[in-house]
Amino acid sequence: MLLSAIIFLPLVGAIVTALVPKDRGDLARWIAAGVTTIDLALVVFLALKFDVAQGMQFAEKVAWVPQFGISYNLGVDGISITMLFLSALLSVIAVVASWKMETKPTAYFAMLLLLEVGMNGVFVALDFVLFYVFWELVLVPMYFLIGTWGGPRKEYASIKFFLYTLFGSVFMLVGIIALYLQAGTFDITAMSGLGLPATFQWWVFAAFFLGFAVKVPVFPLHTWLPDAHVEAPTAASVLLAGIMLKMGTYGFIRIALPILPHAANQWAPFITALAAISIVYGAALAFAQKDLKKLVAYSSVSHMGFVMLGIASGTAEGLNGAIAVMFSHGVVTGMLFLIVGMVYERTHTRMIQDVSGLSHQVPVAGGLLAFASFASLGLPGLSGFVGEFLTLLGAWKSSVPAAWVVIAAIGVLLAAAYTLSMVQRVVLGTPSEAVSKITDLTRREVALLVPLVVLTLTVGLYWNSLLRFTDPVVTRIVAMLAGA
Amino acid sequence: MSALAWFIPEYLLLAGAFLALFAELIVRREGAGAAAGALFATLAALSAVAIGVRPVAFGGMLELDQVSVTVRVALAVLSAVYLLWLAGRGMGPERSREATALVLLATLGGMLMVASRDLMVLFISIELATMPAYVLMGYRRDDEHTLEGALKYFLLSMTTSLVMLYGFSFLFGIAGSTSFGVIAATPSAGLLGAFSAVFVFVGLFAKMSAAPFHYWAPDAYAGASPASVAFVSTVPKLAGAAVMVRLAVLLAPGVPALPTVFAVASLLSMLLGNLAAFPQSDVRRLMAYSGVAHTGYMLLALSAGSAAGNAAAIYYTIAYAVPSMAIMLLAAEEGTAVDDFAGLAARRPAAAGVAVVLLLSLVGVPPMVGMFGKLVLFTAALDAGRLALVLVAVVMSVVSAGYYFRILRAAFFAEGRTERVARALPASVAIMALTAVTLSLGVFTGPLLRWLTAAF
Repeated sequence: MLLSAIIFLPLVGAIVTALVPKDRGDLARWIAAGVTTIDLALVVFLALKFDVAQGMQFAEKVAWVPQFGISYNLGVDGISITMLFLSALLSVIAVVASWKMETKPTAYFAMLLLLEVGMNGVFVALDFVLFYVFWELVLVPMYFLIGTWGGPRKEYASIKFFLYTLFGSVFMLVGIIALYLQAGTFDITAMSGLGLPATFQWWVFAAFFLGFAVKVPVFPLHTWLPDAHVEAPTAASVLLAGIMLKMGTYGFIRIALPILPHAANQWAPFITALAAISIVYGAALAFAQKDLKKLVAYSSVSHMGFVMLGIASGTAEGLNGAIAVMFSHGVVTGMLFLIVGMVYERTHTRMIQDVSGLSHQVPVAGGLLAFASFASLGLPGLSGFVGEFLTLLGAWKSSVPAAWVVIAAIGVLLAAAYTLSMVQRVVLGTPSEAVSKITDLTRREVALLVPLVVLTLTVGLYWNSLLRFTDPVVTRIVAMLAGA
Repeated sequence: MSALAWFIPEYLLLAGAFLALFAELIVRREGAGAAAGALFATLAALSAVAIGVRPVAFGGMLELDQVSVTVRVALAVLSAVYLLWLAGRGMGPERSREATALVLLATLGGMLMVASRDLMVLFISIELATMPAYVLMGYRRDDEHTLEGALKYFLLSMTTSLVMLYGFSFLFGIAGSTSFGVIAATPSAGLLGAFSAVFVFVGLFAKMSAAPFHYWAPDAYAGASPASVAFVSTVPKLAGAAVMVRLAVLLAPGVPALPTVFAVASLLSMLLGNLAAFPQSDVRRLMAYSGVAHTGYMLLALSAGSAAGNAAAIYYTIAYAVPSMAIMLLAAEEGTAVDDFAGLAARRPAAAGVAVVLLLSLVGVPPMVGMFGKLVLFTAALDAGRLALVLVAVVMSVVSAGYYFRILRAAFFAEGRTERVARALPASVAIMALTAVTLSLGVFTGPLLRWLTAAF
């Protein structure tokens, strides 16, 4: 019942929030804050009760459409619980970050809560139809968040986001049905290790690849991402980068690898190549950006490339690293988007040339931006390093062509280059005209960032805090890949 | 209970149709006839549920099997909800009582269509179901476009009815009987069988607006009042789908090429319907072309030529009819141009929210019924090896998101007029009911699917 509560509490919250009178935005945000906080508390409680040595836990299974083998089937393992925690945490942060939302606040907070339903659901669903329901459910609130509360090109960005992702997911649906026709069930766990025919695996993997790769996004399917990120309101950017991109890589780890291990091995060189291109191409594009938010958006393409690199490696190091990058990227990019949003609220510009000298005028904001940037570029001791190191190590150890790994490693250097040059121009230097009048972060804003700072340090200094959850699951997946 | 009593729902509809014409003499209020009609249609639906499945009646003329029971209940419910809306809003400048009678008669025809076990009864039922539809489509007598569209509909529909009747005559010639039972026992193999099947299905394709016999639909819909379109594009279509499934089952043994015929029509309808719907700026035209596309999906299920495909075809048509009717009713309230939906979220937030659920269901986004419709449909089609068609279908469903979202974009992101239409409780209840069905038939889809799967 605990998992159901975690999924559907925000749904109840969303309905209640939507029914709050329009002029009671204050009430709506308190409800949203309360609901997301209780949800986070439930997830933390779950994590404390979680036994890392066991497989799927807190399972719930009720027949839904029995003659089609569809069931309401939930459970968490070490990978889902890290993602679930991230989803619940960033949801709280998204609500608090939107505290001053004045435009249609009741609808806004209802959409944020609805988004959390879908995000939580994706990470605990163990039935393909249920998974697909949550997967698609996420699109709707995000469409409205971008389209209603977004920037100048919001309508274009929102429909582009929707159509791209829908395009990917309908192919995933075909893959799901193909699997069902072979296995006779929609149960995700029951399908792993079936030893499906090789050609069949290859084609179904192709369908899933389209669905997941659009979401990640992998080059060349990434073009929706900069538009969506730049136009989205801050909280939506945080959730989009922090959680929704991870749904794609989570799909690879939870579904594509265990169910289609043979095809995963066959596809690995191709995915490695795309991952390396995403890393370098994303970094190069980030280097060229004049808009802070676009820079963070393209750096996401680059970071998600590391995740894909780790997944394609098929090694324990690579997969653990992939999950570490997913977690770290969620925390760190969330921080970056929040700080950029806070600076934008004050200066009304995101252009790098107009923002400089933050450390002189607003030392707290400048310091935190520098901290988040260092975490993002993978400074040892902070969370970004763990995953990048492990994914590169895993990719090197694996059988994929070494040239791609070398190219990916160059991406690390590029990340340092674009991040440091941004820090140099924005944080250091003399305050620009736009910066010279602004005030530093409020206590609410600092309080918002502190948990993320703590997590960045914890994972960065004590890797095992994260890896002890993921490693047992990863070991099982690697065994399946090796056996195929 | 004698066989006469099994058709109480039909008597109720007939009684309701006559009562509706005179109800406003008793209760002197516009809309009283429609309200009475809604009541009788509800009673018909309830009694149809109570009567349930019955064996062959009237010397093999009619049969209430699981398919006909499902569809007759669905038809009665849909027309009850439709008449409830009509009681609240009326037919614009025209009186609604004749429309009520026509709706009930068309529903009666639809219910007999799905129960028919005999070619003659089937043909008469089809005519009974479509005659009122011609009048409904031409209900606005003083509008040239309406009359042009209605005339087009009438002429084309009559012509294809005759083509279908010609096909029926072949079937009669081969089997020596008009009874389905005898026809099934003497498979109409060879060229003659193929010809008869093609004639029969060309007639049905035209009535279901499947490409390439769809061209009457956009003009007829765009000329008619949106309230008429809401009925004509849904209720007769559901009955037609059920008849198509039945005839497909009946004729398939003798005509091995039949699934291929369905596959070709499906491909054409999906491509043409979705691509042509894209540039439309009139909601009626948009829904006309999207109706062509949805018929294409339904034909995809039939092209599987399996029990699962037949069940999926009926399930999918129900999944299409419910939200589609509600969207057209909304268009009847708000205006027929896509731009008329501009600012809907500001002036009628509930209606805008309803439109989200309905349109997403038509796209196939869960947890609405449309997604489950697509799921069972694609499953049946893939199982029959129709991978290429399924791929076309899924890509086209993304295209459909493109045009359905134009309505949502207008409703939520565009500035529009601020004054709202007068409140009408029955109409709101009707649209809410259709939305609730769209949502709950998705979340609690098990029973209907089980029932339909067991029917074949």
